[in-house]
Amino acid sequence: MALNSLLLIGLLAAPLTYVLTKVNKKLGSYFTIFSTLFILIFLFGYMNDTGSIFNLISFGEFSLQLVTSNYGWYFSIIMVLTYFLVSFFNPFWVEKLINPASYNMLYVFSVVSTLGVFYAKDFLTLFIFWEMVVWSSLFIIPLGKSRKASVVYYTISTIGSFSMFFAIMYLYSMYQTFDISVISQNLINSPNTAIMAYFLIIIAGLAKLGIFPFHTWLPIAHGNAPHTFSPVLSGGLVKMGGFVALLASAVIPTSQIFSNHIKIIGVPYENYIVMVLGAISIVVGTLMAIKQEDAKRLIAYSTVANGGYILIGISLLDQSGFAGGMMHIFNHAMASAAMFLTIGAVAYRTGTTKMSELGGLIKKMPVTFAAYLIAIISMAGIPPMSGFASKWLIFQGLANKGLMFMAFAAFFGSIGSFMYVFRPLATVFLGQLSPKYNDVKEVPFLMQIPMLIMSLLTIYFGVMPSHMLTFISKIQSSLNITPITIEGSKIYSFSGMWDSVIVTLVFVIGFIIAALVFYTHKKAEPVDQMNTYTAGEFIYDPESYHYAKNYYAPFERLYKNHPSVEKFYDAIVLRINEFGHLIRSWFFSSNVSTGVFWISVIITIAFFWGDKL
Amino acid sequence: MSYLIAFSIIIIGFLWQVSLDGVQRKVTAKVHRRVGPPWYQAFMDIFKTLSKSSISHGFIYDFGVMMALGGTIATLMFLPFGNIVAFEGLDNFFVIVYLLAVGSLGMAMSASGSGNAWAGIGIMRALTQMLAYEVPFMIVVFGMIHAYGTSSLSELAHVQQMNGILGWHIFTMPLGAIVAFISLLGMLTKVPFDTPIAPAEIASGPMVEYGGKHFGMLILQHEFATLVEVGLFVNLFLGGGNLLEYLIKYFLVYTLVTLIYSVSARFRVENVVTYFYRVPIILSLVQTAIVIFTGLGVNV
Repeated sequence: MALNSLLLIGLLAAPLTYVLTKVNKKLGSYFTIFSTLFILIFLFGYMNDTGSIFNLISFGEFSLQLVTSNYGWYFSIIMVLTYFLVSFFNPFWVEKLINPASYNMLYVFSVVSTLGVFYAKDFLTLFIFWEMVVWSSLFIIPLGKSRKASVVYYTISTIGSFSMFFAIMYLYSMYQTFDISVISQNLINSPNTAIMAYFLIIIAGLAKLGIFPFHTWLPIAHGNAPHTFSPVLSGGLVKMGGFVALLASAVIPTSQIFSNHIKIIGVPYENYIVMVLGAISIVVGTLMAIKQEDAKRLIAYSTVANGGYILIGISLLDQSGFAGGMMHIFNHAMASAAMFLTIGAVAYRTGTTKMSELGGLIKKMPVTFAAYLIAIISMAGIPPMSGFASKWLIFQGLANKGLMFMAFAAFFGSIGSFMYVFRPLATVFLGQLSPKYNDVKEVPFLMQIPMLIMSLLTIYFGVMPSHMLTFISKIQSSLNITPITIEGSKIYSFSGMWDSVIVTLVFVIGFIIAALVFYTHKKAEPVDQMNTYTAGEFIYDPESYHYAKNYYAPFERLYKNHPSVEKFYDAIVLRINEFGHLIRSWFFSSNVSTGVFWISVIITIAFFWGDKL
Repeated sequence: MSYLIAFSIIIIGFLWQVSLDGVQRKVTAKVHRRVGPPWYQAFMDIFKTLSKSSISHGFIYDFGVMMALGGTIATLMFLPFGNIVAFEGLDNFFVIVYLLAVGSLGMAMSASGSGNAWAGIGIMRALTQMLAYEVPFMIVVFGMIHAYGTSSLSELAHVQQMNGILGWHIFTMPLGAIVAFISLLGMLTKVPFDTPIAPAEIASGPMVEYGGKHFGMLILQHEFATLVEVGLFVNLFLGGGNLLEYLIKYFLVYTLVTLIYSVSARFRVENVVTYFYRVPIILSLVQTAIVIFTGLGVNV
């Protein structure tokens, strides 16, 4: 199917979903599964299609056009796949939502809009669809726990959108075109315009990707969005920021444009600044994730940290680091969506996401536990899961250039991720089961499907990362970056090679040896989890036995008085609020005539001297 | 063929490390002016615990123990042992460091699965300590990898041997070597960095629930992890060498660790973090900056 018709059909499917949900809640929710699957299937046909142009609308001299590209396909397939898998949760959550019909409609609407972003031929199309995504997700977030969350989300999103809009209009006034490829050709000859365009456009990416100092919306929006939408936000929509970062730094060939600029450790200072922001978000995200008591906020902060990896990887614009950054987009989409889904599944059965109120759910929800375990192994970057491949490649890129401070952040975030991903594992799934959850069951099979598929994909691309990297190498050559060297299952980079199949095989052998040692010896006698050594104390209450609250207290104590950008934002909000009060008390008091007076004054001024102002 | 070599590494490593562990008990005893157990005591411990009956706190408790031992054995198979490399080109630093984490994760999971609060505290301390020692160590090695353009441990050991003894990184990168040695103490969870175990405070932390074959397997895991960790130091800073040289260097490093831990006291866990982020991290950044910007220590 032609891409433009796919998009239009998708946009028409959204109101249809609304009507269907009004008729029957379940029916509409199943329709979201169907429609995302429909898009996914037809999108697969565009895997090797590059350069085909599709016209959406024409008006006057402008037209909204789509163009196929391999990086657009890569992003869109990840996005639609995430949407499709998460939509299996929709039928189970419609009952609990305030407005299920609009939820389902906006769900379909936002996934279709992202296609417009990834395939946009010109900046105008990009911006229009970008705003459509922002607005549709904006209205979904308040359907969860908090209405205020969407205000924070929208405010920070707007900073990015305005900045990008300004860049687009500025570039239009320079070159009289919106076309991305034409503009990037023109920018090669005017580096100073390119610096401005680069920073203005990438701010939109940073805001969406949740990079410091724009990271504050992630924990608020992810933590409060409906449980079915948090995985999409974290796994999918955040990656749009990665796309814009790719657009600003690789599609507009910054390595070529900035090649004569001041360099810091071999990297143009423009890219270096962006990388520093990525590094800061890794450290901030990691430290804040360690502190959280709520599982969803924890994963949201881990998204901040992983956004940093993606940004650093993409900004490196080299052979291995760039490939790592690109691959990390997929890995993080799968891992974080799976983590959010498992926490959503836990919340579906227990009604809470607070880690200290849970515990011991492994016996009740083994599939959920397994999915969570695989997701965190991937997120912590341990072989043989796919998360290792991307982190390894990013480390190689950093080592190649010798970016030691980025490397510090990357190592810190990587080791720190063990700390925060382990916490839900220990406090939600392991330990003592609270008696109030005694009759909790595993979630229905339909809800297990996405978790199983995500786990399988994570393992598959962990054993066979070369299958994905082959495609990424195509993206690299189309963006004039040296493609990564792959030979069978061997991946070569600057400091040597890595064979994922042999590593996995050796890991399996090691495990078999351990299992042999285990099973050839005397069988162990099973005992209860309440039956443990307690140093002479007698504890009969599972809840007070479970070690979950203030898990990392000694470590948190070290940075409890940390400086915080949130406080700075709060101060700004306070000032704006006060200013608003000032305006209101001066110009719009309870007496209507005051308002009318000032309005007439302004109209008079505008009427007489408007053209001179 | 490479799998056979890997298996022989496991066997030799096991015999070597466990007997050395017994010898180290003798050394500690001498420092403490005791007689100490015989050198084969460590073997007896392992075989005795493996043969005893044990308890199980459920599936994850068993599975974690297997994952811990399996992951650590897998890591060992990649480590160059002297000049013997089982998988040519795959003795990659990052692969080894992250595979080693599989072992730690398995043990952490198993201990949490027991539901004992002491174990939970021990795991919390172990993970916090890991954040402390791992980062300075990795930064030092990062500088090395950048300078030589290889992360293969055997190649990094080989380039040191070119200039004789003075070419070893312990002499050309002294700051880095100090950092790595302090990190090694942290990795081995030896005093002063044995906060995760801390028998007097948290009843051996992660180990509190284990007995019988589970405990035996975790002792084994610890021995294999020690092989990897000391092996990393020997390969990266003492120039590896052939099998005999490697074993002598290994013996010296391990004895030095023993001497330090038999006379020192314990840090609190937050002190571990502040300690590592005050001294070693600065040293490691300085060392790496020297390597990256001046090339000093790489091409003397």
